[in-house]
Order: sequence, then structure tokens, then C-alpha cells
Amino acid sequence: MFWLAEGLVYRRQESIIHSLDPRVKLIISLSLFLLSLFSSTIFEFIILLSAIFLLGVLSKVLRRMIKTITFSLTFVIMIFAINLLVGYDLIFSIIISLRFIAIISSSSIFFLTSSPDELDLVMRSLHLPYDLIFAFVTAVRFVPVILLDAVQIIDSQRSRGLEIEKGNIFKRIRNYIPVLIPLIVQSIIRSEELAEAMESRAYGFSKKRTSYYTLHFKRKDYFVLCLNLTLVVLFILLIHLFHL
Amino acid sequence: METLTEIIKFINFSFSYSGSNALILKNINLSIEEGDFVLLVGPSGCGKSTLLRCINGLIPHLYSGVYEGEVIVDGELVKNKSVNELATKVGFVFQNPENQIFMFSVEKDIVFGLENIGLDRNEIDSRLEWVLHALGIEHLRYKPPYELSDGQKQRVAIAGVLAMKPKILILDEPTSLLDPRTALEFILLIKELNRKFGLTIIVVEHRIDLLTNVANRMIVLDKGEIIFNGCLKEVIKNKNLNLYGVNVPPVIALQNYLKDEGLIFNEFYLNVKDFSKEIKRRLIGID
Repeated sequence: MFWLAEGLVYRRQESIIHSLDPRVKLIISLSLFLLSLFSSTIFEFIILLSAIFLLGVLSKVLRRMIKTITFSLTFVIMIFAINLLVGYDLIFSIIISLRFIAIISSSSIFFLTSSPDELDLVMRSLHLPYDLIFAFVTAVRFVPVILLDAVQIIDSQRSRGLEIEKGNIFKRIRNYIPVLIPLIVQSIIRSEELAEAMESRAYGFSKKRTSYYTLHFKRKDYFVLCLNLTLVVLFILLIHLFHL
Repeated sequence: METLTEIIKFINFSFSYSGSNALILKNINLSIEEGDFVLLVGPSGCGKSTLLRCINGLIPHLYSGVYEGEVIVDGELVKNKSVNELATKVGFVFQNPENQIFMFSVEKDIVFGLENIGLDRNEIDSRLEWVLHALGIEHLRYKPPYELSDGQKQRVAIAGVLAMKPKILILDEPTSLLDPRTALEFILLIKELNRKFGLTIIVVEHRIDLLTNVANRMIVLDKGEIIFNGCLKEVIKNKNLNLYGVNVPPVIALQNYLKDEGLIFNEFYLNVKDFSKEIKRRLIGID
């Protein structure tokens, strides 16, 4: 499971793409995502995937992007096989599989180049309710904490003789119950403490919550945004007007 | 002449959590003056945490139960104020700093509370600079919480609370996760806040020796009742303290023992340094 996350989890890095305004990164990712959704020829996918890989190179995350794709290959093969089996032709099955790859890799561009912090800012700039943003931020913030809890519980249960890796698949799943129950209990206790601390820090004090952080487009952000728009329009024109 | 102002007052206060008949706090009458540094001790389950939660309004606003009598903080009845309104008067630092840092960086976490109370950008800026400097954590400003040590996390937790400029700072077993040296540094930092900014401080702590030289008041709680309450120097002398689960520092215990043996000192010494000085003086005097 860890290497699935590998392709979606942000690592601190520096590149031209990383330094863009997160809203621009979201728009680039989203436009590639939408184009993949509506493209229907192999030629279109070749262009889209080349664009996605070029972005991967520019943002220095290509290797991790490829890892995600490799992981999703099982699904790709399944999609391909099912399409063939239900009677679609080869070309159509290939297109559907390519679409799946393009969707996954285009959305990973945003997640690989934007920190959770930037995601928080994007959500703020979209004027989403703060409760929702806060829930997201704390969820991401506490992932490593709860993971550490889990490791500790596994260690302590092992030291009391629990053999997690033993038995057939059903037995193994059952082996995790003595880990999951304390983990859930501990997380509930943690969330209670969190609620106390939130209240004590005036969460929900006034309707007019101010925001200290705001995003500002820089010149290069405008430039990239225009470039993105031009390329998208060009792509649509080329495909649909000239039937390339 | 400077007059002492009462900042916290409990009047005939009793409380029990809903779903339980047992009174957690029984008929508490207590007043704490502005600028006091209070050490609150007692065995586990004696009601310390409950008492603290009554001051910042978590009781009765988050935890319901049978609430009798009054708690007045800074001239206002706690039950009439919401917890987040009280947050600007009472800062609460909990035992586990991990659960008090919500954001991805120290700076963002400090700003969180300030945004909540709706401060403008300039005010947030100046408070941020002030609190980072006051706690000596400027270098941690952009760090994520998982890169901080426990001691640093505890400082960040205080920073988040202190930035709200409360008059009262409550710390519930703040050093339980710290090693002795970091714990001592931490207590000295709190003393500094008390001295510099006149903050009223209430600390629950089992390691009393850390606080004997910094606190001026001591309250001993047992089974929901106040057993001792007064000047730390007076309370700590009491021989019955260990009956209430209080871990009396050895230097105090030694003086009590010597007193029983008929060796009377004019004064009561709170730390080893002063006490050994006195012994030396006597020995040389005997010589």
C-alpha cells in the first residue's frame, strides 16, 4: 500500500512547477484531467500523456508519477481485459485503458507538487466553509501521528504474543482486530482532547474569521495560466475542427 | 498602594459529571489573585483536571453535569460565557502537546487562534513576532509539527495559547512528557512569563521539586475537596502532605525529620542550596 501513496504524497522539492501558485497547478491538473475524460482517439492520448510526462519532468516528480502508474497497471489490465471480454474492439479497449492512465497521472501532478499547506490555501481562496477546511487539514496533519500509534500498538501486541503475519488471508485479517480496536479507542480519546484544545483556542469564536494567509498571482502565474489556456484551446481546435 | 485583584473565584462550588452520582468537586471556595503562580497538586482522580476545566468553561459548556455554586473569572460568570469567548482570558495548555498543534507549521498554528478571534493582519503580525520572541522559538517558525521535539512542541503549544493574550495561563501536567532538564527549562520559562507579563499561572504538576522555587501558592486537592490552600512555603511544610499522594521533595522531608529530632531551624528552606548553606553556617558556628 505504501507505494500507492508514494505517487500521491507531497515531498518538499523545488522546481518551476512547485513554485507556481497552487491554484495554477490545480487548473493545469484539472484541464488535463478533463481533456482526458473527453478525448477519444489514440492520437489525442499520445499528446495528453506526453504533456503530462513533460510536466512530470519539469516538476522533477516523473519517477514517482511512473511508480503510481506501475501500481495502477493491474487495474489497467483489468479494464482492458473486461472491455475485450464484453465485446468491445481492441482499439476501444486500448483507449479506455489509456484514459485511465491519463486521469491518474494528470491528477497526481497536482498532489505531487502541492503541499497540504497549499491545498489549505486553495480551499480558503475558494471560500469553502472553514469547518470543512479544518477537517481536511487536521486529517492530513494527524496521519503520521496515528500511523505512529498503530506501529506502537502492533509492537505491544506482538510483544504479548500476537502473530500478525500468520495464517491464511481470513486469519490474517482477524489478526488485525487486536490492533484496530485499541487504535480506534486511542483515536477517539485523541479527538476528544483535540476538541477541548480547539475550543480553548477560540474555534468558532466569531462568524468573521479572518484569514492571515492569502494567495497572490505573480507574473509567472499569469503567464503559465495563459499558456495553459492557449494550449487547451489549441488542442480542442486541432482535434475537433481539423479532425486530426 | 497596589491592591490585589481577585481574578478567579469559586463560591460554594460543586460539580458532578452527568451519568455519575459521585461529586467530583465538593463545596469549593477558592480565590486566586492576579499574578499568582499556583501549584495545584493531589492524587490522580482527585478533581484537579475538573477544577481547571471549570475555569476556562469547558465545564459546563463542553461537559455537562450537575453544576452548583459559581465560578467567576475576571469579573464574569463562567457559565454565562462560552469557551471560545473565555479563550481570550484563559489560556489552557493540555498534557499532550501533540493534540494541540493543528496546523502544518508552527507559524500557522499560532495564527490559527488569532484568526479565530478575527484579528486583522497587522495585529496578527505583531502578536506572532512577539510570541515567537517571548518563547524563543523564532527558529522553529516554519517547521512542521513532526520535526519538533517534545519540549519544542510544548513551547509551541504555549505559544498558540499565549498569542491570544490571556490573563490566566493554565497548564495541566505540562512536563509529564519531558525529560528532567527540559522540564526545568520549561518551568523557568513559565516563571519568566509570570514575572514579565504578570500572567496568573496555575500548574498541575507531580514533580513538585520543579516548582518549589517558582510558585507562590500551593493548593492540595483530595477527593474533590481543598485540603490545603495557601502560601507555598507554609503548605509545603505540612507533614501530612504525603497522605495526599504528594511527593514531598527530599530537602523538605529532611527538614521535617530533623525538626522531629529536635533540630529547629529559624527558617524553612525550599532548595538544597539554601539549606546546605544554613547547615554549613551552623556547623562552622558550632566549631
